Amino acid sequence: MISFEHVTKRYGERLALDDVTWRMDEGELVCILGHSAAGKTTLLRLIMHETQPTSGNVTVGTFRGRLSRSHRALLRRKLGIVYEDFRLLPDRSVFENVALAVRIDGHFHDSEVIPRTLRALQEVGLHSKQTLLPGELSFGERQRCAIARAIVNRPALILADEPTGALEPRSASEVLELLKRVHREGAALVVGTTRPDVAAVVGGRQLLLVEGRLSEAADADTGDAEPFLSIPGTAPEGA
Amino acid sequence: MHLFHFREAWRSFTAHSGLSLTAVFSLAAALTLSALFLLVSWNANQALRAMADRREMVVYLQDDVSDSDVQALQEKIGELYGETTYVSRDQAWEEFSQQIGDAELLRAVDTNPLPASLRVKLKPELQNFVSMEESANQIGKMPGVETVRFGGEWVRRLDAVDASARRAAFAVGLVVAIAIVFVVHNTMRLTVLARRHQVEIMMRLGASDRFIAMPYLIEAILQALVAALIALGLVFGLQRLLSSHMEGLVFLPWTWALAFVGGSILLAWLVSSVALTRVLRSAGA
Repeated sequence: MISFEHVTKRYGERLALDDVTWRMDEGELVCILGHSAAGKTTLLRLIMHETQPTSGNVTVGTFRGRLSRSHRALLRRKLGIVYEDFRLLPDRSVFENVALAVRIDGHFHDSEVIPRTLRALQEVGLHSKQTLLPGELSFGERQRCAIARAIVNRPALILADEPTGALEPRSASEVLELLKRVHREGAALVVGTTRPDVAAVVGGRQLLLVEGRLSEAADADTGDAEPFLSIPGTAPEGA
Repeated sequence: MHLFHFREAWRSFTAHSGLSLTAVFSLAAALTLSALFLLVSWNANQALRAMADRREMVVYLQDDVSDSDVQALQEKIGELYGETTYVSRDQAWEEFSQQIGDAELLRAVDTNPLPASLRVKLKPELQNFVSMEESANQIGKMPGVETVRFGGEWVRRLDAVDASARRAAFAVGLVVAIAIVFVVHNTMRLTVLARRHQVEIMMRLGASDRFIAMPYLIEAILQALVAALIALGLVFGLQRLLSSHMEGLVFLPWTWALAFVGGSILLAWLVSSVALTRVLRSAGA
């Protein structure tokens, strides 16, 4: 599904990714753990084709190499993306924010937009807040809205860049649980985080990104992490 | 194109109403200038055409020409140059008498000195100085023709006025088109920049350029439509105001008004498309 072959990315003199090679299969769950500025966001942006590698090849599904604008848009329509800062449109209601993704996808008739959107909102528990603006929601609810937008078109791959970065513990655990549920229902999931405790809750294949170099974590069980998410039902997989 | 795009266009129009109204009024100002000039052009054109209708050539006939020769000449000229009317010597004297009106003066003339003539109403394609001069030369060489007159200097001046009016119309049209390009391009750039955050999010969600651009294009078309109607309304009001003082001043025919609105919309659509392509490419993501 995703393949990086000797990918290096430089921003001027700064080396963001250094000869990264890894692959991910369909339906897999991968958590990329690294400190701030380690290159996680660059890695996710390369998958989204927001930026191009300085050298090496990035393949996402059938999309490979430098893409035209229309192919780049097509690739993104096949992904679900969750950002740390939510990236919701402040002047649109919760419903409109999610429905926008359905309209952009372009595969659904007007009559299908409403039920699809409502179903996604139901899944994230925001059905009753569909008419509110993002500014009227808590941060956790905003992130759930962003997740609804990411899953509404049932993408095969969901990318989450520090999805709990702006959230307090309870909301964070709810959001992580939601992402894991989406993954259990079949979507591949890539989560980038700076926090070992979040990585522990997410589980899956753990990759460490240190100063632009990617390696498989020796032990996915990050047992030395601070017990940050201690809400019942959110314990790390296999714990 | 979905209803969604129209809703988005309306949302953009109302969300940035200051910018939208500025665009409408700027466009309306440029288009009013254009519509005003169209009105002047149309009325000048009508006046020139009326004068052109009176363009005729008078072919004076020799005194000894027979009726059958006149008949043949009339047919030939009619076929090649335009409709002819025969004016006999007596008719010419009658007309002359009516024009002079002084019976004593007329009695002083013993005999009728006026020749018979053919008045030729030239075909439209011959109603210019060069063609008229050439036609006069050709007719002048025909048997039975004494001389040909067509008011060359007057025709030459009329043609010069016509050519100047056309050049001025082109120049004003060009200036207005440039003004419209400038206004629409900058409005579009500012509108998209004002919503840059939204555009970037839509790009990240995989929206195609066409999807993002459609509401802005609709908005530009609406602005051009409203501005064109305002311009036509203002010029119509002016025409009504002036028509009582200027006899013969008429408003544009509906085909011209429709073409004016259509042209404004087409230009706005073309310029918006180019501007959006450039702005969206620079928006990146």
